[in-house]
Amino acid sequence: MTGLSLKNICKSFGDLEVIRNVNLSIDPGELVVFVGPSGCGKSTLLRMIAGLEDITSGEFWIGDKRADHLPASERDIAMVFQSYALYPHMTLAENIGFPLKLAKLPAGKIRQKVKTIADTLHLDELLDRKPGNISGGQRQRVAIGRALARDPKVILLDEPLSNLDAALRLEMRAELARLHKQLASTMIYVTHDQVEAMTLADRIVIFDKGEIAQIGSPLDLYNRPANTFVAEFIGSPKMNLFPASLHQTDRNKAKIRLKNTTYDLDTDGLTGDILDTAITKNRGETIKLGIRPEHLHFSSEGGLRGEIRNIEHLGSDTYIHIETEAKADVVVRSNGISALRNGETVGLIPGPGMGHIFDQQGIRVT
Amino acid sequence: MIRFSRTATAWLLLTPMMTIIIGVVGYPLIKTVYYSFTAAHLAAPGTTDSWIGLKNYIKALGNSQFLDSISNTSYFVCVSVSAEIILGVLVALLLNQKFHGRTLLRALLILPLALPTVVNAMMWRLIYAPDFGALNALLTQIGLIESYRSWLGDPDLALSMVAIADVWKNFPLVALITLAALQSISKDLIEAATLDGASAWQRFWNVVFPAILAPVSVALVLRTIEAFKVFDIVYVMTRGGPADSTKTVSFHVYQEAFAYMRIGSGASYALIVVLISSFLIATYMWLLKKQGNTA
Repeated sequence: MTGLSLKNICKSFGDLEVIRNVNLSIDPGELVVFVGPSGCGKSTLLRMIAGLEDITSGEFWIGDKRADHLPASERDIAMVFQSYALYPHMTLAENIGFPLKLAKLPAGKIRQKVKTIADTLHLDELLDRKPGNISGGQRQRVAIGRALARDPKVILLDEPLSNLDAALRLEMRAELARLHKQLASTMIYVTHDQVEAMTLADRIVIFDKGEIAQIGSPLDLYNRPANTFVAEFIGSPKMNLFPASLHQTDRNKAKIRLKNTTYDLDTDGLTGDILDTAITKNRGETIKLGIRPEHLHFSSEGGLRGEIRNIEHLGSDTYIHIETEAKADVVVRSNGISALRNGETVGLIPGPGMGHIFDQQGIRVT
Repeated sequence: MIRFSRTATAWLLLTPMMTIIIGVVGYPLIKTVYYSFTAAHLAAPGTTDSWIGLKNYIKALGNSQFLDSISNTSYFVCVSVSAEIILGVLVALLLNQKFHGRTLLRALLILPLALPTVVNAMMWRLIYAPDFGALNALLTQIGLIESYRSWLGDPDLALSMVAIADVWKNFPLVALITLAALQSISKDLIEAATLDGASAWQRFWNVVFPAILAPVSVALVLRTIEAFKVFDIVYVMTRGGPADSTKTVSFHVYQEAFAYMRIGSGASYALIVVLISSFLIATYMWLLKKQGNTA
């Protein structure tokens, strides 16, 4: 097990800067997920770590060895590609054993290692088949098996589940989590699917336009998003952001005004000097109040009034879209099957301590 | 209104085309098979009915000139096809790299292919010309030869020189087929092999070569069949000479049937060539099937 360290990493293609000043330290045995929308630079950074792309500036360390000038083949990093990249003319056994053959291991040892990996990944019955004759999930397993064969220092996974159907994705996600626990190897996993990120990661790194927007554990990111980008990216449906203004009522209490409605908001950590500073910085300015759909509750009296425009029944949950004065489309997530109907007028109140306050620039205020 | 079944309609629609095929291909083929068992001679009327059984075939297989032409053809096929394959694959590998002017080079690659064989043959005759040819001038100026030579007049060299002209015209076909195969190889495969620890040669041998093997095999068989039938380039460049050193089987058949007017024996030679070609075509079909199975 080896850790990784990225210091001031930048990447440009001509005049286009795609990665800006990335600093990140990954502990040995940690599973870190890079997540972000398409084109945010997460896959490019992964390829730079693998050695498939040059680093324009900055330093990359594997353990205590500087590695940014090492060719890909000398970094002892394995990668699972989105397309699986299995060699079509080789059997599954040959695919898994290929890195070992290149390392000139004796045939007996290769056979033994391939068998061990095949047992772990439930591929033992399929070893004589070729990639064209197995299912997507099985191909995925073979790709993982090939990555494991050399016992690499780090395993990179580039959107490995995105070509699978929903049921298989769920199954493979659990399989990957089990595998990581079993092998305890350092892994970097790239995805644009926040559910994969939340369920698999020890830590999540969220990218936005080539920069790290926030690093933290899945629940850190959910509970304390650093900015509105993270707040909206993590959580489904995404967080409701209301334009609002902030007013201090006493030393430890703030009032938030949404249009004509004023709320006493029990904002966690927003007390004393911090509250003073927040009020001073945002006095008279429009701030953003973020409330997650699952933290908005219906109230028969008072609250933010609105009319139900659309109801989505998922069985386990119901997503209710409400048009309010403060925001055109507020989403409320309600457990189970809701009895509400389109066109009904309802009142909304946030759960205590469930508001997130962001300044005009979208940065968290605390 | 008359109604036809689907099968009857199909036959009805196919009939005009089949009539033409039978008339243009079938009839001459049957006639050739028939003539090959006769002593038919173009200048001797009435000989088309003179049945002589297998005599033409027995004579053909014992004819040293015909056997020499098979040997010449085999040499031509081996030299030209192997050079075309090696050159074609190397050029395709080069044109698959990223560099400035790649698109222009790819376009230029088509030029030799687009050139009619007769024009190509004339061009190379001029290049090889013993008194004013560019090849003599070039080799003299760089000091490889001391005096001008007659490249097509030397029986030891002539066939190889014709093969070079043929290679120049036909290697782009192999290059294009290989290039198409190379472009279909996923970049991920090459990158996966790099991360697996493969060197440039190991990447070529373990990933690229297996992926281009089937298309290159098809190009090889296609070119072998074509090279085995070579006629026009020989006709324009050497007329089979000097001293029959460039006489190929097709040229031999042409001479026997149309120069010496011995249609009967010419037909038997032609059918022996067809037999050999059929074997090559069968190999081609087998390779196509194999390629289909691995795709």
